[in-house]
Amino acid sequence: MSDDSPDLKPATDSLRPMTEIQIRQTREFVEGLSSESQTYWDMVSVGDELSRDLHITPELVILYADGVEDYNPWYEGWRMDQWHIAGTSPFGAAVVPPLLVSHFVLSVQFDHTKPFAIGSIHTLHDSQIIAPIPIGSTVRIHTKAIDKFIRRERRYVRHEVTVTDAVTAQPYFIETRDILSL
Amino acid sequence: MSIRNYGAPSPDGLITVATPVGHELIGVKKKAAIQLMGSRVWGRFNPNHWDPLYAAETGLKAPIQTGEMSSAYLAEMCVNHFGRNFFSNARMTCKYIASTYANEIISTHGVVREKTPKGAGFRFKVEIWAENSQGEKKTVGWVEADVGT
Repeated sequence: MSDDSPDLKPATDSLRPMTEIQIRQTREFVEGLSSESQTYWDMVSVGDELSRDLHITPELVILYADGVEDYNPWYEGWRMDQWHIAGTSPFGAAVVPPLLVSHFVLSVQFDHTKPFAIGSIHTLHDSQIIAPIPIGSTVRIHTKAIDKFIRRERRYVRHEVTVTDAVTAQPYFIETRDILSL
Repeated sequence: MSIRNYGAPSPDGLITVATPVGHELIGVKKKAAIQLMGSRVWGRFNPNHWDPLYAAETGLKAPIQTGEMSSAYLAEMCVNHFGRNFFSNARMTCKYIASTYANEIISTHGVVREKTPKGAGFRFKVEIWAENSQGEKKTVGWVEADVGT
């Protein structure tokens, strides 16, 4: 099957094996997402601010690190045989991968109380990594929509982001990021 | 050191105060595996990242990786080269200039472009990018980190 042909749609199972039950469940899931969604452009107004606290558990770090096949032991606060451990890194105990919090900004800037704006694409980030984040920390992610603009007939939303320790207010991370909206 | 620390990067990284401008970083190489692209860690609420049919309906020739995956690959390279220095007072800018499609092989690259004296060491500026096996750039940017300061 050619994915390049505009007239020939790929099958749901064209990239990984599935039975008809898995295919049906997948299609139902996608249809549910599409029916509830607004565009990100319409969901956000300049000046919108959102904040949430994220507890960065050892298991969350493993989930993220495995998702990008980064097996650096500095990020291990959980192991299959020992479960929760302090771990080791140049900072003492295990730490959070430097860009993990950048990913979870999505769950703040996209208002989690509303259906996700599917079809949106992250296009840019300018990130300042201020200090290492110990695994087990709770961080406060704050986002502010600072601009909406159209470039080459495409719609973008820009956010400013700060990540601080929810208990001590230690600054960990600052970011500016752009999302391309449908 | 525990045996479980085998395979960890050098704590101070591979770049030293003596590393010259023009030095090329050894990157990492990954496959855009659909099973990883569809992981719940990325949310699964955007089918463009894991569903071939939805991706085709939105004009994509295949599902595309979330940009965070490409940035994480570049960050892994930077941790290997800057070690602990990449976790404090560092900066990373990435622009996703082309989509990374399922099954592509992605490699990361970096070249030291500047080193500015700072304290007892230098602040390094490195051009970074990720490309597929045909040499098509997907993500471009730069990082800054202090070494020996």
